[in-house]
Amino acid sequence: MPMDAKTVKLSLRHICQSYVVGNAVRDAVVDVSLDVFDNEFLVILGPGQCGKSVLLNIVGGLERPIDGGVFLDACRIEGSDPRIAMVFQKLALMPWKTVLDNVAFGPQIAGTDKAVWRAEAQKYIDLVGLQGFEKSYPFELSGGMKQRVGIARAYTGNPEILLMDEPFGQLDAQTRYAMEDEIQRIWQQEKRTVLFVTNNIEEAVYLGDRIVLLSNGPAHIKEIYEIGLPRPRHMTDPDFLAIRKKIADNMDLAI
Amino acid sequence: MNQPIVMSDMERRELLWKRIHRVLPFLSLGLLLALWVYVSQGENARFPSPGATWDRFLLIMRHPIKGLTIFGHVWASLQRVCIALICAWLFGIAFGILTGWYRKSDSLLTPLFTAFRSVPPLAWIPLITIWFGLGEFPKILLVFIGSIPAIVVNTHAGMRFVQKIYLDVGTMFNANARQKLFKIAIPSALDAIFAGIRTSTSAAWMVVLAAEMLGGKSGVGFLIIRGMDSLDMPLVLLSMIFIGLVGALLAIITQLTELLLCPWTRKQSN
Repeated sequence: MPMDAKTVKLSLRHICQSYVVGNAVRDAVVDVSLDVFDNEFLVILGPGQCGKSVLLNIVGGLERPIDGGVFLDACRIEGSDPRIAMVFQKLALMPWKTVLDNVAFGPQIAGTDKAVWRAEAQKYIDLVGLQGFEKSYPFELSGGMKQRVGIARAYTGNPEILLMDEPFGQLDAQTRYAMEDEIQRIWQQEKRTVLFVTNNIEEAVYLGDRIVLLSNGPAHIKEIYEIGLPRPRHMTDPDFLAIRKKIADNMDLAI
Repeated sequence: MNQPIVMSDMERRELLWKRIHRVLPFLSLGLLLALWVYVSQGENARFPSPGATWDRFLLIMRHPIKGLTIFGHVWASLQRVCIALICAWLFGIAFGILTGWYRKSDSLLTPLFTAFRSVPPLAWIPLITIWFGLGEFPKILLVFIGSIPAIVVNTHAGMRFVQKIYLDVGTMFNANARQKLFKIAIPSALDAIFAGIRTSTSAAWMVVLAAEMLGGKSGVGFLIIRGMDSLDMPLVLLSMIFIGLVGALLAIITQLTELLLCPWTRKQSN
């Protein structure tokens, strides 16, 4: 297959989600349809609490939409699917497990042989650069290292789609820049289809092949941007800044 | 190339305070001891002196009461506490998991338990004595009743408030209900369960004394009542000291066990 051949990997069709809040029904997501290409780094950008995480939770099977469907390789999926893994926003590492056991959680649950899950977990621990910390507990790690564990955990089990829900939202600025480079390196080494949610325009333009801009809640798609910039990108590059400005002008303010 | 260590005034003052803080506990203990010596002086003192208490210790080691030295009595109490606690933990943790995790059993059983635990354990003494007399079983039963609320309440709370995000991780990896319970919910409740173990241990040590005061031939509770009945104040004081020491020791042991079995809780306890 030629490099630039784009096959649709994942499709969202007319996704709607609403919640009952008090006596009212509040829409969170309104009619979102979207195609995600194979091995694409797709960024979903939106202000504040606009409903981007809801969208990701629906793809991950953590929530059921009130309308619409998710299609993986053109087949409809319901609930959580082993081909889809998630890097959670809050550090959802289990504090009672070591790094190794956190990373190997998926295969352990699936009942894989110990030798197999050990090797698999080790491969991804090495990939994210945490070798030597296998026996550490999460509380012994820094914020950036914890997020590396989260990334490695999502990678084990070898999913085809990685969902990342503002994974770097709680890191300090320095660590955040470092992790943005890291996630690119990891993704280029182990290509997967990535859906990356963020509210940070700079991060979106730095990482994304395409950016899906969502409106302020209830979320619908405002615009989809193709980011043609070569990697590695530079945040001070004039082209980078131009795209950044174009998106910023179009982005709703979170209230 | 040795550089002389120069300390600023502030650093010097800080160091001084650190030393003072290290000395302060010994100071208060020393004061307590001095007070003890002071109030126990004179012919008509109503309080045994440290020397008299020490002599009483030597005496009970040479002439055991009811065949047991002070250590024998401590051991007798500890045995009751251990048996009752192990039963209370097994039952209480199971009950707490059942009611904390499954909503139906929560609605069904928790009201019963709330009614049960609003009766202080000592209020059971008359009933239990009438039913079972003064033997070994009623004492253990009483300790069991006294230690069950803490372990149930803590386990229940730990299981009830498992963070949703951990369960989401489970859902993400297709964990089934059983795996969510055993691999996620119970481990995440372990620190709450251990808090229950700590509290129930100190409750058990308290109740065993009351249970032993009812009658019997062994235990520190028996010993302290024996001292009272025979106006043997040094014996009373000796028993009190041992009760305090063992209580502190039990607290330290449970804490160390928690650190050993659940090393990740170190962060919270610091």
